[in-house]
Amino acid sequence: MTELKAQEAQVKAEPDRRPVRRNGLTHGRGLVGVVLIGVIVLLGVLAPLLAPFSPQEQIEGANLLGPSGTHPFGTDEVNRDVFSRVLYGIRIDLFICLIAVPAGALLGGLIGLVASQTGIADVFAQRAFDVVLAFPPIILGIGIAAITGTGVLPVVCVVIGAELPLFGRLVRTATLKVRELPYVDAAESMGASRAWVLRKHIVPNILDSVIVQLALSASGAVFILSAMNFLGIGVKPPEPSLGGVLADAMAQLGSNTMYAVGPLLVIVVLVLGFQLIAQGLLAARRGGAS
Amino acid sequence: MTAYLLRRLPSLALVLAAASVLIFAVIRLVPGDPATALAGANATPEAVEAIRAELGLDRPWVTQYFAWLGGLLTFDPGRSYLIGGTIGSLITESLGNTLLLASSSLFLAVLTALVLGPLWAGTRKPWLEHLLTGINTLAVAVPTFVMGVALILLLGVLVPVLPSGGVPRDGLLANPSITVQYLLLPAVCLALPIGAVLTRYVAESLRTEMAQPYVVTALAAGVSRRRVLLRHALRNVLPTSLTVLGLQTGALLGGAVLVEFTFSWPGLGLLIERAITGRDYPVVQVLLILSVVVFAVLQLLTDVAHALLDPRVRLGGAR
Amino acid sequence: MSTALSRRTLLSGAAGGAVLLGLTGCASAVDQETSGTPKKGGTFAGAIGTDLVPANFYTNSNDGVTTIIGLVYESLILYPNDSLKPQARLAESWTISDDGLTVTLKLRQGVKFHTGRAFTSEDVKFSLESYADPKWNGQLKSTAAAIAAVDTADPNTAVLTLKHPLGNILDLLEIVPIVDKETFAGIGDGSRYVGTGPFKFEKWTPNARLQFTKNAEYRVPDRPYLDAVDIAVIPDATAQANQIRSGQIDYAYGISNLDIERLEKAGDITKIQRTGAEIQVYVAANLTVDGLEDVRVRQAIAYALDRDRILSEVFRGAGYTASLPWPKTSPAYDEELNNFYKKDVAKAKSLLADYGKKVPTLKYSYQTPSPLFQATAQIVQANLKEIGIDVELDPLDPPTFVAQLIGGKFPGLWTAYHSWAQYTPSTLTVSAYPFNALKNSSHYESDTYIKDADAAWKQIKGDSPEAIESYRKLSKDLLDGAFLLEIAIIEGRWAVTDRVKGISYTKRSELLLTDAQLTG
Repeated sequence: MTELKAQEAQVKAEPDRRPVRRNGLTHGRGLVGVVLIGVIVLLGVLAPLLAPFSPQEQIEGANLLGPSGTHPFGTDEVNRDVFSRVLYGIRIDLFICLIAVPAGALLGGLIGLVASQTGIADVFAQRAFDVVLAFPPIILGIGIAAITGTGVLPVVCVVIGAELPLFGRLVRTATLKVRELPYVDAAESMGASRAWVLRKHIVPNILDSVIVQLALSASGAVFILSAMNFLGIGVKPPEPSLGGVLADAMAQLGSNTMYAVGPLLVIVVLVLGFQLIAQGLLAARRGGAS
Repeated sequence: MTAYLLRRLPSLALVLAAASVLIFAVIRLVPGDPATALAGANATPEAVEAIRAELGLDRPWVTQYFAWLGGLLTFDPGRSYLIGGTIGSLITESLGNTLLLASSSLFLAVLTALVLGPLWAGTRKPWLEHLLTGINTLAVAVPTFVMGVALILLLGVLVPVLPSGGVPRDGLLANPSITVQYLLLPAVCLALPIGAVLTRYVAESLRTEMAQPYVVTALAAGVSRRRVLLRHALRNVLPTSLTVLGLQTGALLGGAVLVEFTFSWPGLGLLIERAITGRDYPVVQVLLILSVVVFAVLQLLTDVAHALLDPRVRLGGAR
Repeated sequence: MSTALSRRTLLSGAAGGAVLLGLTGCASAVDQETSGTPKKGGTFAGAIGTDLVPANFYTNSNDGVTTIIGLVYESLILYPNDSLKPQARLAESWTISDDGLTVTLKLRQGVKFHTGRAFTSEDVKFSLESYADPKWNGQLKSTAAAIAAVDTADPNTAVLTLKHPLGNILDLLEIVPIVDKETFAGIGDGSRYVGTGPFKFEKWTPNARLQFTKNAEYRVPDRPYLDAVDIAVIPDATAQANQIRSGQIDYAYGISNLDIERLEKAGDITKIQRTGAEIQVYVAANLTVDGLEDVRVRQAIAYALDRDRILSEVFRGAGYTASLPWPKTSPAYDEELNNFYKKDVAKAKSLLADYGKKVPTLKYSYQTPSPLFQATAQIVQANLKEIGIDVELDPLDPPTFVAQLIGGKFPGLWTAYHSWAQYTPSTLTVSAYPFNALKNSSHYESDTYIKDADAAWKQIKGDSPEAIESYRKLSKDLLDGAFLLEIAIIEGRWAVTDRVKGISYTKRSELLLTDAQLTG
């Protein structure tokens, strides 16, 4: 579905659509999304200032305390402040997103570009994408984690693996479309180099869809990486991650009910925020095109 | 047509053979093996060696591979090393549980779409429209397992009215009224994102439909708006909605894995997880090869349909 | 749900919720209550956390196996929970010759297997032999393998000839369940379990449940009281807690200690703390890893551990802290030695100062998924940070963990449970792999330790003064070597409702329901 939406967004080359893009982020849903993500990013960036405790500090005697002034979300099973852990958890989650999503986009885009140039590579890439998409990312994650062991590495691999086909297809379809445009065709037949076509026509043309897809992918990446951390095959303890804190909270719901609330809210806001940004961009695009 | 199928079959067999080798090899790259999984933390090296011999894991890989292949081809994939029981019965049972969960979720999703879709499209109250839009956006966005934890917290811990996980101890068939209570939370979780997408689609299509000339005519003739919406417009929207539902079913099966984890629902997702963490080679191998087979057959069917529509493909022309 | 349980109708908040959900008139899956008087008969409904693994029949390592063995099988003798004084079970009496090389067992007569076949000395021979087969991975197989022959000339007498005196031979006779030769193959695939015990094995549904029925011809008259036993496999600890609170089950094996505390406070359950069936939680070191080769570093770690905190916060006080494996019920227990290592940061730091070098960052492995190990590991990590040792946690899934344990390939420290110290002390050092004097996962080699372990094993009487002196030597060796550092001795807990009476257990945490009764 998400992929379809992103492709829908493609329109023919226009000189500059930066205003449209800006519009999408300063009005309505897009704005809400930007604000949501902004708040979370700020919380993450300012974690060292905002957190009342170190995320790994074990406070003597503070075993599974309920929420209080000192510990807004209470404490966990090894006496750490849950609020501080959630704040620091944001950092690691966003960090993985920041690494894995662009990496997936870049790799996928390159494969898509290569695929659009030669027939054999195209068939091969398409089938490979199909196969990757056939496995739910979580099963893929369990499998990879069994081989590599728990850690950030399998999480990054799975996120990249999930993003790769989406960007690959996006770029491939866009490239094929652009090359069929009469003036590009004409330019090519007049001896324009492929690099020139790429720079002058293809890149500007697909930039918008790629940006929308990036927002959607970030949303999906937060989902996947927090799910893997939730399953205990991601970030190793004692490092806090949103999914990891949520998983630890699951066993302690009866003792400290607020334990789960923090990571729960942040994950929802992150996923929602990125989706709203994508929706806002799409809406602005539709408005701008018509 | 038969000729086309015959031409495709060798490549299908090739893909499956390659997949089987790959699956067989990759799972043996994972550290630890079924013998260490079986032996447990108190084991001695001699015991692990003895178990390895008992399971036939000390034979050369090639021998093991062909033994497995032979089992597959005679539809006798054998027994699980760790979980117990024959692989056939294990898969049937887990598949049944997964299908029950999935079909209940589909039912809930369709029900939601049929009720809220027309309401959303038909309402003229701005607050209701905003509310529905908000809920819908949220429902699409919230990850299934996060919703699962939230529901467990609310209805399993704070106000304990529903079981927070597992299945009834007498099985799913013994007492339907108990089963429903166990099924409710996981099914709602799984249904939510699909229901939301479907509801949005139905509402949007209904709005388009309501702008059609026949609706305008009917309304002018004094037929009530509600009647037009439910009697005529909805009927026209249903067939395409079904397609959207079909597309969502794939996403549903992926989502089921996480929901099964969150609620300890003993379906295929939990089975494959347990099989991988227990290095239960026979079970993992069969589950993976099955998914490849399903996938390859679906591809073949698509291509056949394509061939039926496009004679050039069938005749081996430009492809 | 058992129809024997009466159901409370729509009065509680829970049932009110059911109304909201449109389930009026149906039994609620989260709230049931019964009341009544004790009775004979009925079905005992319980839950276990880990399913039966048929290949683990003799390893005592999962709840499914211990449940089956406790209900269906009997051993030759039985230790009471608080001591090692053997009581008659399938053997009526036993004598060990003065040279310690011959054990003569007089068998109980008139005992029948569930198939109707009479129990004889042949069955003793077969059971001991199959236990010794390495593929079954029985913990005392080295002891079983030291039996040279079993004389079965008299069907009512079994005479065991030993290769050398075995101080722990009675442990073996206490542990090995007497199995039926004719149906033994069924144990391998989980299809048939035939013993002489109070309950007959009915059916195993993998991943779901174990069912048993009363053995009407049980050797003890009027026992068992129960008609049937129905044990569900519920891996999720929270689900177990919910089911016992709502009265769907009366017995939970796998519920967390925190939930037990909570439910006990609410008056929903009582706990059975399995004193005598202890397990130990420990930190051990791989001596081939840089830094851990020096005993001063290992002792510093032993002084850094906050045992009290781990015991109270992680294990909720279910046991006591320890420096040695021996529980209080063991003849080797010595309070002074057991308190040898107490948290002492200054002492730990001075030991490290003696060592002189910086200890490199150590990897610290434990099995997943386990909230208890994860919490323990994180506390130990913080403890070691206090004395200046950096530790990187290394969670491993069970097969990887075991592969590294058996191969002695841990990259640093590890934490796990061990068991078998609740028996005759020599059983531990010749059986439990982490302690094995000849070859252990720590790569700890010491001629003194090998000599002392062997001497303890070859004591003729496991509780004689000479034997106790030999255990003292062994304890000293363990404290000096510091290759395996005990944290605490844990007494596991079962949750039961007050609807059931008379539940007991063996030293291996096997469920005994011979005297159990339902009320209501």
